Parts: sequence; C-alpha cells; structure tokens
Amino acid sequence: MALPQSLRVSVTPPELELVASQQLVEIVPLISMEKTAFISGAYGPLRPPNKAKVPLWMAVNLKLKKKCHIIAPPWLNADYLQDRLTEETSQPAFSKLPFRFTEIAKVILDVASDDLESPDKIRSLLKDLREARQAKSREGLKTLDHSELSLPNLCSMEINEIRPYFVQSMSIFTQLVRNPAPDPLREA
Amino acid sequence: MDYDYFSVEAILAENQKIQCTFKHAIPGMGHLGGGSERDIAVLSKMQIPIWLAYTIIYSDWAEFNIPQPFSSRVRNALRADACSVRLSNLVGAGGSWYGFGKTIMDILSDEQANEMSQMLTKAFRERLVDVIDQAQHFAALGQANAGGTSGNAAQSFREGLDTTERELFSLAQESAKQIKRWYEDSDRAKH
Repeated sequence: MALPQSLRVSVTPPELELVASQQLVEIVPLISMEKTAFISGAYGPLRPPNKAKVPLWMAVNLKLKKKCHIIAPPWLNADYLQDRLTEETSQPAFSKLPFRFTEIAKVILDVASDDLESPDKIRSLLKDLREARQAKSREGLKTLDHSELSLPNLCSMEINEIRPYFVQSMSIFTQLVRNPAPDPLREA
Repeated sequence: MDYDYFSVEAILAENQKIQCTFKHAIPGMGHLGGGSERDIAVLSKMQIPIWLAYTIIYSDWAEFNIPQPFSSRVRNALRADACSVRLSNLVGAGGSWYGFGKTIMDILSDEQANEMSQMLTKAFRERLVDVIDQAQHFAALGQANAGGTSGNAAQSFREGLDTTERELFSLAQESAKQIKRWYEDSDRAKH
C-alpha cells in the first residue's frame, strides 16, 4: 500500500475534527440570509436576532467573518465541566461526555473564545479531564487481554489515540495465548 | 507478529536456530551443521534453523532442547521483574523474542506449550504498560531533547525491547505525536 504507516492504522485528528464539524450548534447571526441548500442539507434562514441552528463548520466560517456569535453547547461551561472532573477523579469509570466533545470544544475555543464565559478556566478544565481520562485508559491497558475490552464513555478522540497500539497489543495476545476457551476440566 | 505467508517477521522468526540432538545417523547430511563432516552421527548436536527443524522433529529424526532465550534462568528473571530483562539481547539484533517463542510453542507438547504461553503472555502484559508510557513520554518531549535525561533504567529498558515491542512503541509514539500536533495548532491560522 502506498499510504504511510500512520494513516493505515486509523484516521487522523484533523479528520475527526472534520467529522465533528457536521454537528449542529446554535448561533446568533448578525447578518440575515435566506434558507440555503448545501450538500449536507438546507440551513437557515438567518434572521437576527433570532437564534439559528447551523453546522459547526458554517458557524466557524461565519464567526471568523464576524457575522455571528456562537452559543456554547450546554456542556461547554466551567460549572458542568467542573462537575465532570470531580466525577472523573472520584470514580473508576469514565464520566459521560458528548462523544465528540474534544473536537467541538477545541474548535469553539479556537475561534469563538470571546463568546464563552471564562474560556481559560474551560481550557484548563478540559486539560485536567483529558489527563484524568488518559490515566484511566492506561489502567485499561494493564487488564488488556486477547478477547475483549470495554471502556464505556470513551470519546472519539481518545479511542482514536489508543486504537493503534491497543489493537496491535490484542493481536499479539491472540498469538501468544493458547486454548482461547479455557478447559473446564483443567480449571476445576 | 502475524503468521501470514508473506510476513517478513514470520520468516525472520523462523530463522532462529535451535539445538537438535539427532536420534539417527543420517549419511551425507553433515553440511547442515556447517561442519566439515560428511555424515550426521547418532546423538550429535547441531544448531538447526527452525524452518528446517520442524520437519526433522516431526519425522522423529531428532529432538530439541528449549533454546536459551526461554531457559529457566530467563524464566526466573522474568518472574522477578519482567521489565528488567533485555529481550533484544536474548534473540540478537532485529530478533523477535515473542515470535521465536510462539514458533517454539507450536512444536512443543501441550503441557509445555501452555507453560510457555503463560510465560510469554505474562511477560508481554507486564512490559506493555511501560512500553506505552515511554512511547508517550518521548512523543511529548519532541525531537529536540529526546534521548536526554530520562534515567538509566528507562534507557536500558528501551534498548531491551524486542522487535514486536518496538513496533508497538513506534505506533504509540506516532499516535501521541499526532494528537499533540492537533492540540497545538489552531484553527485561526487556517483562515
């Protein structure tokens, strides 16, 4: 195959960002626009000061031209994330966050941090969350075996990060383990 | 470490030699051991590459000893602390300790093979977390000061990785690097 090794094993973070950009966010437009048809669907009409739902890529595009304000999704604020972080550090399971929260949070923080309350606090909370969750997936590595792995609530970016080496490790386990079905007579 | 017909790793793993003791005299085959004798005598010992040893052992012309990389000395060392064993020294440069072990496992009898499998699995599991930790650590350091002040134990562990683990190391490192790059570059620059 002509693809470099790194592209063969999984998708890249920018590709995930592209996928996440299809999700709808709420904006307050500053310009008016008729309902317009795009390949992924028709969005609009934009009537200031009424809110509208558009895909993230469109919101980013408008925001960069200073033609809208992005309204942060309900989970992207310091209080909510603080709660999740407390949950994350006090419980063994992964806390429940939107599947593509990393990508969406980064995009919004990058282009529309002025639309958020205390963006710096959010940034540092997201970083703490990421580290706490990384520590947990490392724990998961210790219990890895050849047959299954369950890490519920892992989000897309995290899955993507651990996919290459988790998959490879599991296939090595498959090679090394004999008699995958334990013999009941021997167990007894 | 797959056993695909076209897998280069599988071919390399089969190139390891094991010591065979011949049960029969075989005339005209002395060159197998690389010596100058013409015939193989009964009870003579020879280093035979695994791909050839398969046939010889299954046809009951010879028997083999568990090779040194899986001897009880190594087993004890692994039991004591799996991370301090330098697997790469055991199988030579570019060798795959796990691959070699798997090949040996396949020609052993059930009981011995199970024991072998347990040893390999346990060693792999115990070393895995360290392999990944170090890979991520190195990805975070970036190019500039990689290989710098990371402590002797860590360095010797890294040098002791066998090919299988090296592959994992580079996978983990590459993926951590990609994520880091993505986190660091901003969308603003693109527009």
